[in-house]
Amino acid sequence: MINLIYAEMTKLKNTKILWLVFLGGIPANLVSLYAFLPRVTPKGTAAGFDVQDMFYRQGMTITILAPFLFALITGYILSREYQERTINQLFSYPIPRVRILFAKLVTVLLLIVLTSAISCVTVTATGLIASFTQQTDFEIVWSGIRMNLLACLLSFGTVPVAAALSMVGKSVIPAAVLGGFATIVTLFGEMGHGMDGILFPWFMPYWPVRELAQGLADNGPNPYVGSGTVILAATFIVSLLFCITYYKNAEIHSGS
Amino acid sequence: MSYILRTHHLSKRYGAREVIADVNMNVKAGDVYGFLGQNGAGKTTTLRMMMGLVRPSAGEIELFGATLQGNNNKAMERIGSIIEYPGFYHNLNAADNLEIHRRLMGMGNKECIDDVLSTVGLLDAKKQPVKNYSLGMKQRLGIARALLHHPELLILDEPTNGLDPGGMKEMRQLFLELASKRGISFLISSHQLSEIELLANKIGIIHQGKLLEEIDRETLQKKTRHYLQLKVTDERKAAFILEQKLGITDYVAAGSGVLRLYEHMGQPDQVTMLLANNGVGVREIMLSGDSLEDYYLKITGGERLD
Repeated sequence: MINLIYAEMTKLKNTKILWLVFLGGIPANLVSLYAFLPRVTPKGTAAGFDVQDMFYRQGMTITILAPFLFALITGYILSREYQERTINQLFSYPIPRVRILFAKLVTVLLLIVLTSAISCVTVTATGLIASFTQQTDFEIVWSGIRMNLLACLLSFGTVPVAAALSMVGKSVIPAAVLGGFATIVTLFGEMGHGMDGILFPWFMPYWPVRELAQGLADNGPNPYVGSGTVILAATFIVSLLFCITYYKNAEIHSGS
Repeated sequence: MSYILRTHHLSKRYGAREVIADVNMNVKAGDVYGFLGQNGAGKTTTLRMMMGLVRPSAGEIELFGATLQGNNNKAMERIGSIIEYPGFYHNLNAADNLEIHRRLMGMGNKECIDDVLSTVGLLDAKKQPVKNYSLGMKQRLGIARALLHHPELLILDEPTNGLDPGGMKEMRQLFLELASKRGISFLISSHQLSEIELLANKIGIIHQGKLLEEIDRETLQKKTRHYLQLKVTDERKAAFILEQKLGITDYVAAGSGVLRLYEHMGQPDQVTMLLANNGVGVREIMLSGDSLEDYYLKITGGERLD
């Protein structure tokens, strides 16, 4: 399996996907820097920066971009084998196709983690410096890191859907369209700050971000977490089973 | 000698359309098997089934004595292949592409990459991105990849497509060298009769999904060899004279005064003069015989190769 994952990572050398990962992480860093702008409290005194607020803004930005970004990455990794006609060779290896599929999905997960890590570089560094200089509590930094880890995991839940679309369509376009649609829905959902939005699987990563936020219209634990988790888990399992069945049984013809 | 690849009543059907019908192929260890047929005859589909890319509708494939089941078969470790087109990751260079193959085949030694690139003459271009390669270079890189894990059988689908005549000759020499020096068996599909004629020691002719004939070189040569055909007044006397005076033993009396000589084809004047001087009249004389193309046309009902 290590060889398979290594091979998948090697395939990404010199591709634009690595730039996409890097550029995808930049907006969240810029948005989190908003916290450094000079601000005043309602009392008229200068307000210091707030690490929790930085994490919130970073989390919001990355969870809006995530559906499109991660669908695009998934679509590329799955569909390029058909586009570049390497699928004949790939499926001729004495390796079960399911293992090949899992290696690709693990590669997507690694890229999701990398994108999230890049997106929170600024806020994590700021938070660590602030906690060392005792301007803030390290617990806040840790809760921000935890938020990002959970958001990564939840983002991965919808990856098999993009994978299924790109292997059936043999192109990155269906996955990109799905990702674009999901990003627009997520954008409007986050602007509304509603709790029930997490019932839409691509919106679920916003749940830990919102949990971190303060001062939103509805406070307290989100009552839709259970249902949202079940929906996301069902989406993951059903689409993954579809991917496994399709990949295992696909016949590779001329032009596929 | 043992069979390394056999198909038993192999068929493939798409709905009502049968694209491969009851194909029984037999490739022995050491064979260079030419799989000859027009475009669309069913060559690539047959090879795809052998590589586990397409499932047969009926029949089975036996590789190295074991029945093939999907691609999850140890036999695949003993096969190198190029099916239809050598696909590569165009963002990577040749060495990286082969490195991926090396890892997926579980090979330990990295030096094999340089060795195999050197074999196909691409060592100097190993750091060039594959997107800059010509089709001929890609074909050669495809051969390099197919060879990397030291296969016993190479399955190559139209491997000389896109090569210029010089490149085709080089490739042919490489195949023959690999067959003779390394003992690699080949199954090469092609629609180019001349290529197959120069390479193969066994030929399978597929037409409209059916394997019409599987024939070895010796039998084919017998069937297609040239002869001097004579129509004489006395067939028995003519045969006796030719045996006694010219020592001709390789001939066939075809009846109705027809003799076919497989020797002395270069001296028709000497033959006719001898027969005339001995009282045998020669009514007709001609040099005749089938080429592989004639033979192919005969058994496919006259349809030419593309």
